Amino acid sequence: MTALARAINDPQPVDGIGTRSPVDGLDRRSVGFLDVLAQSVSAVAPSAAATTIPLLVAVVAGGATVWSLATAMLLAFLVATTINQFTRRIAAAGSIYTFVSRGLGTMAAFVAGVGLLVGYGFISMFALGGAGYYLTIVVGRFWPALTGSVLVAGLLIVVMAALCLLVLARGIRLSTRITLLVEAVSVLIIVVLVVALLVRLWPVLDWSQLAPGGIDPANFAVGSALALTAFVGFESASTLGVEAKRPYASIPRAIVFTVLGSGMLYLLASFSQLVGFSALGGTIAASASPVNDLAAAYGIDAVGLLLDVSIATSFLACAIASTTALVRVLFSMGREGLLPSRFGRTHPRYRTPFGAALVAMTVITAVLLTTIALSGSIWQTMEVLIVGAAGGYMTAYLLVCVAAPVFLRRIGEATFWPVLFAVLAAVLLGAVLVTYLAVESGSARALGVWVFLGVMALGLAWCGLRLRRRPWLRDTIGVYDVPVTGDVLGGPGPADAAARESGRAGP
Amino acid sequence: MTGAAHLGARQPKAIQSALTVLEEVARCGSGVTAREISDSLGLPKATAYRLLNLLVQDEYLVRMPDLRGFALGRKVVELARLVAPAQPPEAVREVVDRLRSRIRGGIHLVRYDSDGVRVIDPDPDYPPSVSVRSARALETSAMGRLLLAERRGAESGVLGEDPDLAGQLATVRTDGYAYFPSPWAPGNGCLAIPIRNREGTLVAGLCLSAPAARIGDPAEFLALLRMGARELAPLLA
Repeated sequence: MTALARAINDPQPVDGIGTRSPVDGLDRRSVGFLDVLAQSVSAVAPSAAATTIPLLVAVVAGGATVWSLATAMLLAFLVATTINQFTRRIAAAGSIYTFVSRGLGTMAAFVAGVGLLVGYGFISMFALGGAGYYLTIVVGRFWPALTGSVLVAGLLIVVMAALCLLVLARGIRLSTRITLLVEAVSVLIIVVLVVALLVRLWPVLDWSQLAPGGIDPANFAVGSALALTAFVGFESASTLGVEAKRPYASIPRAIVFTVLGSGMLYLLASFSQLVGFSALGGTIAASASPVNDLAAAYGIDAVGLLLDVSIATSFLACAIASTTALVRVLFSMGREGLLPSRFGRTHPRYRTPFGAALVAMTVITAVLLTTIALSGSIWQTMEVLIVGAAGGYMTAYLLVCVAAPVFLRRIGEATFWPVLFAVLAAVLLGAVLVTYLAVESGSARALGVWVFLGVMALGLAWCGLRLRRRPWLRDTIGVYDVPVTGDVLGGPGPADAAARESGRAGP
Repeated sequence: MTGAAHLGARQPKAIQSALTVLEEVARCGSGVTAREISDSLGLPKATAYRLLNLLVQDEYLVRMPDLRGFALGRKVVELARLVAPAQPPEAVREVVDRLRSRIRGGIHLVRYDSDGVRVIDPDPDYPPSVSVRSARALETSAMGRLLLAERRGAESGVLGEDPDLAGQLATVRTDGYAYFPSPWAPGNGCLAIPIRNREGTLVAGLCLSAPAARIGDPAEFLALLRMGARELAPLLA
């Protein structure tokens, strides 16, 4: 151990390490594992997804619902491990956008970046709309005159958007703590419901619902594509790369935990819903709101209110988490010069990307309210938004899976299994994305596909124009946190000075 | 070090492998890549990369801004106790302390090994102003020059070098001590005398740092230091 002992006793300055990171201004290395986990979990919104996605999948996949969800979980897991090839090596606020730039270069990063912005942006609007929708139902329980009022929903949305902005400005820790609490409570409610249902059904439990017989492969593929939308957002912890403590450990762990945890919840929830309806002699696909219907049918109607409140809060948590991720991607783009520099500004006191938050929340709220006003229905607006968001996420996932092997090769760390997983995930995702867009373009939500394609085209046109005016962007795209002198042995940081004070034969 | 080849990151010897990797990064210097580490340690690539990423996760290593290279992280300081050289035996410290009570100035005991110079008993009242790490630093300190003189003696001056330095090193060999004015503390100088084992190999050295004016005539110090060196030789060799 002589070289190591000597290096410790007598640290040498390390060349190429500066005193400032290009993402300076964020509250570097400040949030712990629980906060990082909360970010991913809330962005996925497992309780809201567990009550809605099984129905969506069951309509297409029928008896193969549970298997479609399991397949989606496997695919999400492959994508998660591939993304973790980056999160173990790069601490960035730009998440997949930054990762793709390191693997495939500027143009691919633009596509992934716009896809990610569409994903986070649309999901933020979807979640705000959903929270407004369910809160209006709750309000309707107390003041029946207000039931289904779009105006009330609009007002609630504005209030919640303001709340989001406040949380975004006040700091990442506040927002993750609140969202974790909210999400934990709603997951608990779902689990209690599911367990209550299964206990009641236990003597007559119909295991044949799990038999994968007679499944049409095409429907199965579509079902799996839809089921994947229940997982999107799991990667959003990676937008906290700069702010997380021990980011290379906590972020990969948070991403994998989120996929596995929410996957288990979905499997349990979809199974209980299937057997619940089968025991009633009906099918889940015929129900409009399966969990409420089941609760009513099994005499636990009292939880209906609880359920509505929990779904609303889960949506709100999802909105907070998705905007948290969104503003960090915008912040990275602002720092690089792709977006105006105001997006790269941070709050001097709370050290949050306040510039991006202000613009993003204003745009999100305005677009959401305008769309609701034009369509006259929150639910229809939400259906369009979720399709667009899923398209955005899957585009970004696809690109990051293609980028991973290239990146690993570039830094000389490519090995067999990570590359195999990445290639497998990329092929499957490509198939899922095409299937998904094809299926949706023929459904009632076709508008979502065209909106998605339109926004992608607009975003890419903006990037192209910006690149033509600022050719130097090619060199700046892809900022990430780099070690500063305080992190390395041999830098003149305060910790080093202290170490020398107490040290022995230091210089 | 090649004995680590069969170790996996999840095996009980993972800590040892991790230290081996840290040692390798320290030896190669900052900027060493994962491929280079796996090659020079003879570790399977997947194992080496997993170890490196684990060490980066725990912040014992940092990835350089180019994402390819590695450097030691601030946290390795916490390993200091694990890897620090053992304190010299009590008998050695008694001899050194006795010298300190008789000579006004900083008395340091240094060890020489294949890697260079290491201060093993620095004077607590006069901390050494510099410790020796690179070839250049060896030239600019008395304790370093002692080692250089020894090496040049063995290699009989085959290396083409500064003729001034060669002459001065020859003087060190004939005088049996090295003197060098401190480049860090003007007006101070340092005197170093060798401690040899039975075969005459240089194993340690006693250094005195004091104002140059006082060391200018080293005779009285030399007598005391040489006496100390004779006492220390059997304890250190």
